[in-house]
Amino acid sequence: MSLSDKLYTILIKGNSWQTILGGLWVTIQISALGLLLGTLLGALICLLRTRKNPVVRGAASAYIAILRGTPVLMLLLLLYYGVLAKAGIAPMMVAVITFALNVSAHVAELLRSALEAADKGQAEAARTLGFSAWNTFRLVTLPQVLRIAKPVYQSTITNLIQWTSVVGYVTITDLTRVINNTASRTMQPLLTIIIGMLIYLALSYIVFGIFALTDKIKARKREAAA
Amino acid sequence: MSLIEVKGLKKTFGSLEVLKGVDLNVEQGQRIAIIGGSGCGKSVFLRSMCLLEKPDAGQILIGGRDITAAKGGQVDEIRRSMGMVFQKFHLFSEMDVMDNLCLAPTRILKMPRAEAEKKAMELLSQVGLAPRAHAWPTVLSGGQQQRIAICRCLMMEPKVLLFDEPTSALDPTMVGEVLAVIRMLAKREMTMLIVTHEMNFAREVANRVLFFADGGIYEQGTPAEIFDHPQREKTVAFIHKIKYFSYEISDRQFDLMQLHGGIQNFGEKYGLDQKRTYRLQLCCEELIYEMLDHCYPNRDKADLKLSVSHAESDGSTQIDLDCGGAAYNPFEQEEDGLGVTILKNMSKQLEYHYTDNRNQISITL
Repeated sequence: MSLSDKLYTILIKGNSWQTILGGLWVTIQISALGLLLGTLLGALICLLRTRKNPVVRGAASAYIAILRGTPVLMLLLLLYYGVLAKAGIAPMMVAVITFALNVSAHVAELLRSALEAADKGQAEAARTLGFSAWNTFRLVTLPQVLRIAKPVYQSTITNLIQWTSVVGYVTITDLTRVINNTASRTMQPLLTIIIGMLIYLALSYIVFGIFALTDKIKARKREAAA
Repeated sequence: MSLIEVKGLKKTFGSLEVLKGVDLNVEQGQRIAIIGGSGCGKSVFLRSMCLLEKPDAGQILIGGRDITAAKGGQVDEIRRSMGMVFQKFHLFSEMDVMDNLCLAPTRILKMPRAEAEKKAMELLSQVGLAPRAHAWPTVLSGGQQQRIAICRCLMMEPKVLLFDEPTSALDPTMVGEVLAVIRMLAKREMTMLIVTHEMNFAREVANRVLFFADGGIYEQGTPAEIFDHPQREKTVAFIHKIKYFSYEISDRQFDLMQLHGGIQNFGEKYGLDQKRTYRLQLCCEELIYEMLDHCYPNRDKADLKLSVSHAESDGSTQIDLDCGGAAYNPFEQEEDGLGVTILKNMSKQLEYHYTDNRNQISITL
C-alpha cells in the first residue's frame, strides 16, 4: 500500500476525518472548560493559601500538595468510580471536574510564586501615594503577577491538553481514544499514531502562538510609546 | 501646630527593640537629615511616619491627625499629604513614565488626565527628563528612575517628603543628579526628612540633623553642631568614623599573644600599615607591664582595661588605659625606664589623670 493509500484509509475512508475531528473537539472542550474552571478555582485556593489563619492556610496547602503530588488519572478514576459514581453525572463532566481540580492546584501554586516575586516596594509606593489596599493590588500588583505568571501558565495549558489524553479510561471518546480506535481499525498504527501526535503538537503550538502574539502586541505598544 | 508630631514612638521586631520611645516635632519648612549607623532604626522611624511599619506604641500626628489611630480609608487620606522616596525607586514596572506620574492624581484626586499630563510634563522638565515621558522604567538609569520617583510624589503636592536613603542604590556617577533635585526642593522650602549616608550633602541641605543610636534620637542639632562639634560619645565616634578594639586584663599572667593577635587583626581590618600596627603592639605591651609593675606591686590580680581606637576621618590612633591599684604616673618619674622611654619616643601626646581611685592614661600615636 502506498502512503497516499494509507492516508486515504486513515483519514478519508468512511468519513474517518469526521470521527477524528469529533475526538479533537472533545479534547478541546475538556481542556478549555477544565482550564477556565481550574483557573478561577486556583485563584480562590491561592487566596486561601496566603491567608494568615493557619487552619485555612494549612487546608489550602494540603489541597495543593495532594493534587500536585498524585497522577491526574488516579483522580479521574477516583471521581468516576468512587466519589461521583452514583451521582449520575456524564463522564464528560467528571473529566472536566477532574482537570479543573488538577489545574486549580497548579494555578494556585504559580499565582502564589508570582505574587511572591512581585515587587513589594511598588505596592508600598502605591500605598504611600494614598491608594487603598485593593486598588494597590488591582492597579499595581496584579499586572506584575500576570506578567510573571504568564510563561508558566502557558506550559500549564499545554500540559493540561496532553493530560486529557487519559480520559479514554472512563469511556470518553477524545482525540487519543479516536486515534487508538482508528489505528486498530485500519491496521496502520504507526502512521495513525504519528498523525495523532502531530495534532496534539499543533494544539500546543496554537497555544504557544497565542501567547507569543500577545507578547508581540505588548512590545509593539511599548515601542510605539517610546 | 507642628506639621509632624511624634510622641513616644516604639517599635520592636521580635526581641529586638529598634525604637524605644522617640519624640520629634517637625515644623513647616524644616529639612531634617537623619544619620546613624546601620540598624539604628532610622529607616524604621521614617517608614513609621507613613505607617509602612506599624508602631507598637506612640502617636504620629500629621497636620494634627493621628495616623496610628486612623482607620482604613483615613490612613490612605493622611498618607496623601506625605510623599515617600525609596532607596530602590519602585516605579510601577507595568506602565510608562507618564502613567507612573498620572496614576495617583487621576485615580485618587480625580484630576482630569489632560491636566495631570500637563503637570507631569512640567515636573519632568524641571528634573530634566521631559524627553523620557513615554519611556518604560526598565530602560532608564537608576538616577533617572529616582528623579521620576520624586516627581511621582510631587504630583500629589505633599506637605512633606520622606526620603529613605535615596542615593544608596545608585552608581556613584548618578548620585549627583538625584541630590541636585533634592537641593532644588530644599531651595523651595519643601519640608523634608532625609535618611542618608551622604554626610556632606546632609550638612549642605539640612537645617537640622538627627543622629540615631540606642533606639532613638541620640543627639540632634544644626549641621554645624553635629558635624563640627558633636557632644556625645557615639556621635563623635560616628562622625569621626572611630573604630575600637578593647582588651581586659585581670591577671598578671595574661595572654600577651592573644592581645598582639587582636591588635594585628584590628590593624588589618582598618587598613593600618604594618609599622603602625607594630608600634601599637609595642606601646600596649610596654604600657601594660609598666602599670602592672607599679600599680599592683606583688599582686597577681589586676583590673586593667585597654582600648585602642582609630579615627578613619583623620587617621589618628589612640591608646587608652584604665586601671585601679596604686596611683602611679609613669611619665613623671625621676628616671625613665626603658618601657617609658619607648612610649615617649613613639607618641605625639601623653596624658595622665588620677580620678576616682583609677589611673587613666591616654596616648596618641
